[in-house]
Amino acid sequence: MTSSPLTRRTFLKATLAGGAIAGAPRPLRAQPKPFRIAAVHPVTGPLAEPGQACRLGAQLAVEAVNAGGGIKSKGGMPLELLLGDTQSKPENGRIEAERLVNQGAQMLLGSFDSGSTAAMVSVAQQKRVPFLIDIAAADPITANVARSVKEGQQKVQYVYRNFPTGSTFGRKAVQYFTEIFAEAKVTPKRVALMHCNDLFGVNQSRGFLAAYKAAKPPWTLLEDDVIPWPEPPSDLSTEVARLKALKPDVISPITRPASALLLLPEIRKQRIESLGIVGPGSPGLYEAGQIAALKEDLEYVMASNPWPNFRSPKTQRLAEDYQKRSGGRLFDTNSGYSYDAVFVIADVLERAAKLDDPDAIVEAIQKTSYTAGLMQYGGPVHFNEIGDNPNAIPTMIQILKAKPVAVWPKDAALQKFVFPRPKA
Amino acid sequence: MRRVAIAAAVALLAMLPLVPSVFGSYAVTLFTLIFFYGFLGQAWNIVGGYAGQLSAGHAAFLGIGAYTAALLSVERGVTPWLGMCRIIVSNTEALGGAVGYYITFTGDPRQFQFQDARAYYYVALVMMLAVTGIVAWLERRRFGVYLSAIREDESACEALGVNTFRYKMLAMMLSSFLTGIGGAFYAFYLFSLQPASVFGIPLSVEIIIRAIVGGAGTVLGPILGSFILSPLAELARYYFAQGGWHGAHLVVYGLLLIAVVLFLPEGAYPRLARLFRR
Amino acid sequence: MLFGGVFSLMAVGLTLIFGVMRVVNFAHGDMMVWGMYLAWLMATRGGVDPYLGFVVCAAALFVLGFVVQRVLVQRIVDAPHEMQILLMLGVALVLENLALLLFGPEPQRVRSALAQSTVWLGPVFVDVARLIAFAVAVLLTLLLSLFLYRTDVGRSIRAAADNPYGALVIGTDVRRVYAVAFGVGAACVGAAGALVAPLLPFQPPMGLQLSVASFNIVIIGGMGSLLGAFVGGLIVAVAESLGAVFLKPSLKELVSFSLLVLILLFRPAGIFGRRAS
Repeated sequence: MTSSPLTRRTFLKATLAGGAIAGAPRPLRAQPKPFRIAAVHPVTGPLAEPGQACRLGAQLAVEAVNAGGGIKSKGGMPLELLLGDTQSKPENGRIEAERLVNQGAQMLLGSFDSGSTAAMVSVAQQKRVPFLIDIAAADPITANVARSVKEGQQKVQYVYRNFPTGSTFGRKAVQYFTEIFAEAKVTPKRVALMHCNDLFGVNQSRGFLAAYKAAKPPWTLLEDDVIPWPEPPSDLSTEVARLKALKPDVISPITRPASALLLLPEIRKQRIESLGIVGPGSPGLYEAGQIAALKEDLEYVMASNPWPNFRSPKTQRLAEDYQKRSGGRLFDTNSGYSYDAVFVIADVLERAAKLDDPDAIVEAIQKTSYTAGLMQYGGPVHFNEIGDNPNAIPTMIQILKAKPVAVWPKDAALQKFVFPRPKA
Repeated sequence: MRRVAIAAAVALLAMLPLVPSVFGSYAVTLFTLIFFYGFLGQAWNIVGGYAGQLSAGHAAFLGIGAYTAALLSVERGVTPWLGMCRIIVSNTEALGGAVGYYITFTGDPRQFQFQDARAYYYVALVMMLAVTGIVAWLERRRFGVYLSAIREDESACEALGVNTFRYKMLAMMLSSFLTGIGGAFYAFYLFSLQPASVFGIPLSVEIIIRAIVGGAGTVLGPILGSFILSPLAELARYYFAQGGWHGAHLVVYGLLLIAVVLFLPEGAYPRLARLFRR
Repeated sequence: MLFGGVFSLMAVGLTLIFGVMRVVNFAHGDMMVWGMYLAWLMATRGGVDPYLGFVVCAAALFVLGFVVQRVLVQRIVDAPHEMQILLMLGVALVLENLALLLFGPEPQRVRSALAQSTVWLGPVFVDVARLIAFAVAVLLTLLLSLFLYRTDVGRSIRAAADNPYGALVIGTDVRRVYAVAFGVGAACVGAAGALVAPLLPFQPPMGLQLSVASFNIVIIGGMGSLLGAFVGGLIVAVAESLGAVFLKPSLKELVSFSLLVLILLFRPAGIFGRRAS
């Protein structure tokens, strides 16, 4: 408790006379003082699974930075994570960010879902705390801040993002579909889109539809027969029966992990014949648990997701380490982007002129060009005038022999894709 | 004894406006949310507490208010200050297909956005005090008496010639109107709206539990409840959210909730009132 | 449609608890999730098929329900009604996050050999797992009504529900009866959880959704009516799948809620409910 900031302590004492529960004593730290980063993620509630992956990714990265001697230009200053939980509720994004800044956090990191991320933006801008978004796809989060800076309502933009935006997801998915179909020498006339009807699914399918309309590819999407389902679903048999009636060439689902567990077996049970299942974005299809549960139903399924660059030995080493630390889970989109975010922050701190001035940190963020990321990027990590990294892109992955493998774009591919899928 | 209690309450109240100048902004945020939930709990109290009509759908009113204010501001440039007044005008367009709204952060007070978080504190404080004033006033009027009568025995009330439906309806309208105002505040405090969070049952639950803990159907109950529960949640988070035990702080919070119910089975305010009457 | 049996079973559990004690069990869904996790534990650790394991789940949940009633609910029996909601919400929060702590956030599913097979009856295919879940759920509901109407304990539960003071006067240990009733209600939902565990992927936060689904069914069928809960479960399941066929599938949840609003408009006490006088 000795290292707790005074305001916090007096406040707790004042409001809660009975709040004298003994906190765990913290060891005295060696000099120099660590740089504190607030990592806010949804580690409980409906988004607990990805949120916990983000947290662990960030924790491993901080350990790696500190083991490598901390921030060298600042006398080997170590990093310290202050952990926050949004419970998957937006209002907690704000209060957790405030709490951790009050405990001494000098930068914000988070927060997986776009709602609580937007709530954290207000803390970043009001309190002048630089905020690096590790995951959150909604375009307006950064674009809105950039606009108010441009219009002169805000002086400085404190919010930056290293993650593909919703529109990037849609554009890239349509591009990959077109390229893969061309390479496989097929022109599907009936691509059926299905999606979970939550915020994520609706935004993904809208981005995909908009990009499809803009790109006018040679293949045909059944735009008027999009099949949504309530998330989490209790039963998808009627939705799949509808899908069957569409006689699809290609089935294109946007699923959450729980709905994938229902959807794919149902497609097999109802014996829908198609060239294959290719999704424009389905988190959680590639988890070890999912693959064990779905087995042959998941074989040959493709999905466009942000994906670690497993061609790099560094990524492979970390993935092994992550698997050990997480109890057998795969190093993936969430853990990977949170891991990279911490390293981007370390890179920024290394270059920042001074650390007690948030504007100096922002200046360093704007000059970022980081190439050692573990994720698959289209180029070095840098931030454009909106505050987004245009090189953050998804990769098409496919489940082959019960393992997720990057198959497209070509320069990221570990193996060639298998499409159309072989008949059983 | 009773005088002492009132004096203490007034003194505490007089100190609230000073909080931002004494404490850091974390305390300000915490208090802002305490006031905000106190406000919502109080609005719910009119229907749920006084009239005894358990409404679990209050998040929907909040959602409508939040969406309307956001939409008017984002699409039409209407200031939320105005939006807060005309929220009751339900805007069907606002609900049609809106999937998550993000509000541009500008810090422009004319758009109900403040560079300084303390402004929200005062707005929330005033909102909470105003609605408490309304409830305290109503409690003494015929309207409030009728509502309590409806809660205690609706058929007896009807037998005495009270149009119970009309009063329940009025209570509901007033309550949802106030909750809608809360929604406008919510939208511009958090700068984003997601249907799942502003219309969802978890938010309704958040609103209700504060009023119940403090004592439903009493003037100060919802506010007291908000002052009890929010710090408990923070305390649980402060001590148990670190480390690898994801969810431990919510287990602790749940246990605290159970403990509060077992120790204050009739609600905090009635208990306090009894203590002081002695 | 075949989900209806399980819907019914969980609603029967809820309505029993409400009908006897007037306690709205907000932790109902979370108890169901625990039933699912227990079935999962037995299947993964002991290799017990959930279609046998549900008996153990029901027994475990009986104990949980019994204890919750004895230790918690009984203490605030005289407090305002809404306090019980708060108490049960606290219990729900503890159950949900204990599950998160112990089992992790990943969606789980119990693998049962039966869950994979389907039978084709002409053009229609039927899931064997659903068929079994339905049959067992109906059987359990029948057993429960036999228990309530044919045994002494069952009769005293009904007596305590009708008139607690009367039951007390004739020498019934009402507190014990309440605890048994709460236990039986929890056992129903525990069994329901185990039965759907092979069909439905589950995660700790699912409880709330399941609770709301149960409330919906119980209100449609009539608060406190066993037959109402049973029929309500079937109706909701049928209405939802019909809705998914004829409407946009994502609106199918809306169907059951619209049904709820309609029922409340025309029969405020529910289909089989008696109007409180």
